[in-house]
Amino acid sequence: MQEKENLAPHIEDINRALNEKLSEEQIEEELRTYTERYGVPLGSAKRSIVKKYDGDPQELYISTDKKIEDMEGDEQGLNLKCRVVSIDDKEIEVDDQPKQIWYGILGDDTGTIPYTLWEAKSIDMEKGDTIKIENAYVNMWNEKPQVNIGSKASVKKIDEDEVPQFERQPQKLSLKDLREDMRDLEITARVMSIEEKTVNTQDGEEKQLYSGVMADETGKAQFSAWHDFGISEDDVLKVKGGYVRSWRGVPQYSFDENADVQFLDDDELPNKEELQQTSAYTISDLAKRGGAVDAIVEAVMIDIKSGSGLIFRCPECNRVIQKGACRVHGKVDGKADLRVKGILDDGTGALTVVINRELTEDILGYDIDRAMDIAKDEMNQEVIRDDIEEKLIAQPLKVRGNVTSDDYGLMLIADEVDRQSIDVEKEAREMLDEVRV
Amino acid sequence: MSMINREVAWRVFASEFNESTLEIEGTEERAPSYLVTPLGAKINRLYAVGVLTEKENIGDPEEPMWRARVTDQTGTFFVSAGQYQPEVTSTLTNMEPPIFVAVVGKANTYKPDDETFLTSIRAEIIKEVSEEQRDNWIIEAARSLKNRLDVAMEASKMDEVSVEELVELGFDENLAEGFKQASEHYDSIDFNRYERMLEDSLRYVLPEYESKSIEDIEQESEDERDEDLEAFILDVIADFEERENLENGVDYERVKEKVMEEKEITQEDFEESVNNLRSDGKLYEPVLGNLKRID
Repeated sequence: MQEKENLAPHIEDINRALNEKLSEEQIEEELRTYTERYGVPLGSAKRSIVKKYDGDPQELYISTDKKIEDMEGDEQGLNLKCRVVSIDDKEIEVDDQPKQIWYGILGDDTGTIPYTLWEAKSIDMEKGDTIKIENAYVNMWNEKPQVNIGSKASVKKIDEDEVPQFERQPQKLSLKDLREDMRDLEITARVMSIEEKTVNTQDGEEKQLYSGVMADETGKAQFSAWHDFGISEDDVLKVKGGYVRSWRGVPQYSFDENADVQFLDDDELPNKEELQQTSAYTISDLAKRGGAVDAIVEAVMIDIKSGSGLIFRCPECNRVIQKGACRVHGKVDGKADLRVKGILDDGTGALTVVINRELTEDILGYDIDRAMDIAKDEMNQEVIRDDIEEKLIAQPLKVRGNVTSDDYGLMLIADEVDRQSIDVEKEAREMLDEVRV
Repeated sequence: MSMINREVAWRVFASEFNESTLEIEGTEERAPSYLVTPLGAKINRLYAVGVLTEKENIGDPEEPMWRARVTDQTGTFFVSAGQYQPEVTSTLTNMEPPIFVAVVGKANTYKPDDETFLTSIRAEIIKEVSEEQRDNWIIEAARSLKNRLDVAMEASKMDEVSVEELVELGFDENLAEGFKQASEHYDSIDFNRYERMLEDSLRYVLPEYESKSIEDIEQESEDERDEDLEAFILDVIADFEERENLENGVDYERVKEKVMEEKEITQEDFEESVNNLRSDGKLYEPVLGNLKRID
């Protein structure tokens, strides 16, 4: 529902397009009928009203310089004076042909908005430039308005004074709240680990990537810095202007040379050891997020899947083989391995947990050679799985590891598995006290 | 993301599970169906721990079809396992009741006639467990029940149960929806009974429980209340003595009036407490009808 004062500029637009054919009161009444009574979006309502009274809807957009905060998500023929907050390029495929596009953030003194430039740049547009865009359009992308600069649009540089100075306000977020495709974020976190890698970009260029794990009080996230900011382990950083990409459901915070990276005092965040502790999630939370880095899950093991226990892998491709034969390489001399694939359930949700050989040996209390001997004596490799069931089912566990997701649900790759001992008496007394209040 | 999440295994006590009469069938293909308990647990799968008290093979030795009873401190789960659960049937064949067992399985219903609605668990997993693991389960099931009672408490303040409002209060959406569906189906839900079930279950795992019957525990909490009342009576008398500088005690009726105004008690409760205080040597009557403290 539009407040009256918000309608005023739109009434002015219509008034101008109709050469003051109607009174402002009449226009307002029409506009309210369309938008409030029939729920027509504002942009369409304006066009329809102008058409209804024989005006030219194009007139609506002439010389109307919009502010970013007024964007509704359905504007056509948009003119906008703004500053380029960030610009990045990427290659997409259109009709099987590679095509270069640019994207980033535009800002004015009322806010910021993401944009995509779909055609070759008509000017050499750079970060910090003040520009005037004409005849662009706005649509909704991820439930937020986005400016599209298409083939009919033009972009030209204008004097810096035409857009008032503004302080860019990226959205401040905790790492726990990162979600796929978010942009223009500000986060404050401690670098838990970092490594430098050389990666090949799509156009065959070599690029340095600084990636690792960062943490704040709410959780941890992987990060990728596409520029050498001189970051080292244990630094406390404030990073403005990053964006989120997800890998198998795990949100990663990415930033490049357009980002603003500040090094903060060490005491801005708890120390590394403390931050290491703070990543316990319920499975229901993990399902909502899609995954997490270095998460702790406290849950009961309620199933051990087939393919657990003593297994044999193809020496060529590492696939698990059945009856001495690999799906791809046929009859092979399998390599023995131990693992657990189970279901952890905490009463809020369930996930698949995968436990490697080393941890499985700890759970069993014997190593793989002993497991082979036991299986030979019993002439049945399934006895090892039975032993795992015996030791783990109905057992509360605390498992640490990365959680990813795909079409088959959540998967936790265990780095640490501990039996939980629950202080039943304490828990019962605490709950009784709460109930009695 | 079109992610298939495995159905969560609910921890519910047998009594709540068995009182369920609302079934919600999945409408789409392969959509799961749910049994909704009076407190709104929407159960497709559940995880229960109790004592295996009976088992019976109603199939034959070649193709066993087991029926078993697993009892917790509130009631009995009826458990079944047939040819599609070969691991469960072979485990059950070798189990000798009574032992503690954990069962994971799907909620199942059976309606032999219009009036009868029977619930059971079709077991996917059954395993002998320790008493400690059983106690862990009671804590988990109690926490889950408490969470549903919290929903009920908040919902009772609303004119109409609103899923959105419950979610805003921080409850899980699935639970809020389940509670709304339950509140539309079940006529009258005795929340007090479930609160007592929660308290009884929590006391059940406390070390002092072993030596005491439920009556002992009730007696204890009554004793506690009596002690509170006696201390309060002494305070009231002291208050009067001090304010009015009374040397020969305070009028019995004034003390009674004041105490009964402040505490929800009967005249008998008051008289009994005063008698206790007298026989314990904490009160006496310096003048007939006046009460005075003995310091």
